[in-house]
Amino acid sequence: MSGPEEAVDGGADIIYLPRWRPGGHRVGAHRGREAGGLGTFRDPVSFLRLPDARRIDLRASLRDPFEGVFVRRFEARSPVETWALVDLSASMRFRGRADRRDLTGAFCTSLARSATRIGDGFGVIGCDRTLREDLFLPATRHRAAAQTAAARLGEASCEGGGAEGFLEAARRLAGRPKLIFLVSDFRWPEALIEEVFAALALHDVTPVLLADSAEDEGLPNWGLVELDDLEGAGRRLVFLRPSLRRRWIAREAERVERLRRICAPFARPPFRLADRFDAEALSRHLMTT
Amino acid sequence: MTPLLASLGAATPWLLWLLPLAGLPLLLSVTRRSPVASVAAAPEDPVSSGLRIALTAAGMLAIGGLVLALAGPYRAGERVTRTGIGAQISMLIDRSGSMNETFAGRQPSGAEESKAMASRRILRDFVGERAHDQFAVTAFSTAPMLVVPMTDRHDAVRAAIAAIDRPGLDYTNVARGLGMALSQFGAGAPGVSRALLLVSDGAAVIDPRIQAQLRAEFTKVQPNLYWLFLRTKGSPSIYDKPAGEDTPQAAPERHLDLFFKSLGVPYRAFEAEGADAVAGAVRQIEALERDPIPYTEERPRRNLTGWAYGLAAFGLLLLVLAKLAETDFLRRPVRERDAAAAGPARATPKKAAA
Repeated sequence: MSGPEEAVDGGADIIYLPRWRPGGHRVGAHRGREAGGLGTFRDPVSFLRLPDARRIDLRASLRDPFEGVFVRRFEARSPVETWALVDLSASMRFRGRADRRDLTGAFCTSLARSATRIGDGFGVIGCDRTLREDLFLPATRHRAAAQTAAARLGEASCEGGGAEGFLEAARRLAGRPKLIFLVSDFRWPEALIEEVFAALALHDVTPVLLADSAEDEGLPNWGLVELDDLEGAGRRLVFLRPSLRRRWIAREAERVERLRRICAPFARPPFRLADRFDAEALSRHLMTT
Repeated sequence: MTPLLASLGAATPWLLWLLPLAGLPLLLSVTRRSPVASVAAAPEDPVSSGLRIALTAAGMLAIGGLVLALAGPYRAGERVTRTGIGAQISMLIDRSGSMNETFAGRQPSGAEESKAMASRRILRDFVGERAHDQFAVTAFSTAPMLVVPMTDRHDAVRAAIAAIDRPGLDYTNVARGLGMALSQFGAGAPGVSRALLLVSDGAAVIDPRIQAQLRAEFTKVQPNLYWLFLRTKGSPSIYDKPAGEDTPQAAPERHLDLFFKSLGVPYRAFEAEGADAVAGAVRQIEALERDPIPYTEERPRRNLTGWAYGLAAFGLLLLVLAKLAETDFLRRPVRERDAAAAGPARATPKKAAA
């Protein structure tokens, strides 16, 4: 388990590539839609269109049978906004091998650092049944503010149930595409999951599925356990035995599979964040999907 | 069910006000709670829900049993009327001096046994062969003696019979003895088989006035009458007609027999001239008296505290087993925790060295 402090001190950055070309004239770290600046070669254009004598492309100009003068154009580097949409319902108080809130805090701090370091904005929205205004952070490139807001998530109180606030968050995020990390255990009704993903479909969404190995692979073979629902769905006594454990794990796997199916049309496949936050694993996930 | 409930009691009943505590397991559970994100993650399992009910019941049983045991429950003593096979038998035993003699009419010497001793031996076996017989013992010589009233305590009856070979005395006054033996039956339940067993070695004249009284008594009680006549060798039989005048004075046995026959109750006479004959007669009587008899059984007050503690212990045992079977699955297994603790410790010196 990596606490927020550890993540601040060291640990790899989260490396991400937006799926779209961000526009805008601010200078950032990602390949932008606009041309300009000193980035990668993009295309030669007529000198009349871009009268920049410093970048005249001699080779292209000589090759032109109509004797036009060409200028090299380079890609602009543009920033993107990254947003962490964090589920703050009561189930986030779960504490298995790792404290779910610590895990969220570690993830958000790491993301805030990684984003602000390369000039991207970082914003936070916490949601339970409603949007939590007290934890709202508009996308900012201010490093300290982003760090503080991310660290605050780790201590946020999680009392409410439900996740309907995400729909409001989606409305608030309307506009240019953004890079969104949806951090939750996704123990919502399937209809709501689909609705939220549909509302965020214009953005580049990565679901971060909070899991805990105590909840599936780490289940003991034998034993008596009384489950107490954090969201108030009551208590239940469970007599664990190998057959029940198999059924339980199969059920969890099926749930993840269902989540994957639901979000496939709208978002990247879910990233499973269990026990320990590993920035490199998330980077790999983001680069390969 | 109601009479059973009514017979239950408690030594310190106010403690029973604590019984509602037995409902606590409905609100609280014995197992440690593990907060999880969603209980719906666990698959439906009938075994588990059955176990939950069982554990709740065990908790209620444990608390309820302890409260009950502290209150000191008991079942009050009572008389239970049951029906068995048997009869009310009133024994009327001759204690006149002649009973001390052998069947040969001599004083017993050596291995010989007197009539009293023989009848004692045989009657003692008779008593207690059937559990639900009731016996009364009356002895008579000149005056009747109430030895044991009608009872089903066979030990007492056997003790009374064991005493009949004490040397007898005086004469045979059968009339008053019969009166007392009849009075032993008491009111009694209807339909009970009653038997009057007269053991004597002689007879006496019954006064005609007393005869009328006895007749009335016999009609009222309606017992089966058995006369076990221990006949001394050479003495006249019941059925012998005397050579001379046929008067009660000349042949009292014969006339007593006639009197019994005239009573209008079932009557049998057994003439025994030895111990074997006596035993045979007793067996016959036993075989004849086989009717249902209501008998009362005295049940003493019974302390149920042990049962209550037993129930509580059973409930507690289940709870302890559940506690032992409990796992805290959210905690990391010990092995992993140790490994995690050892990991940084090993890493630190390396860093320092670098």
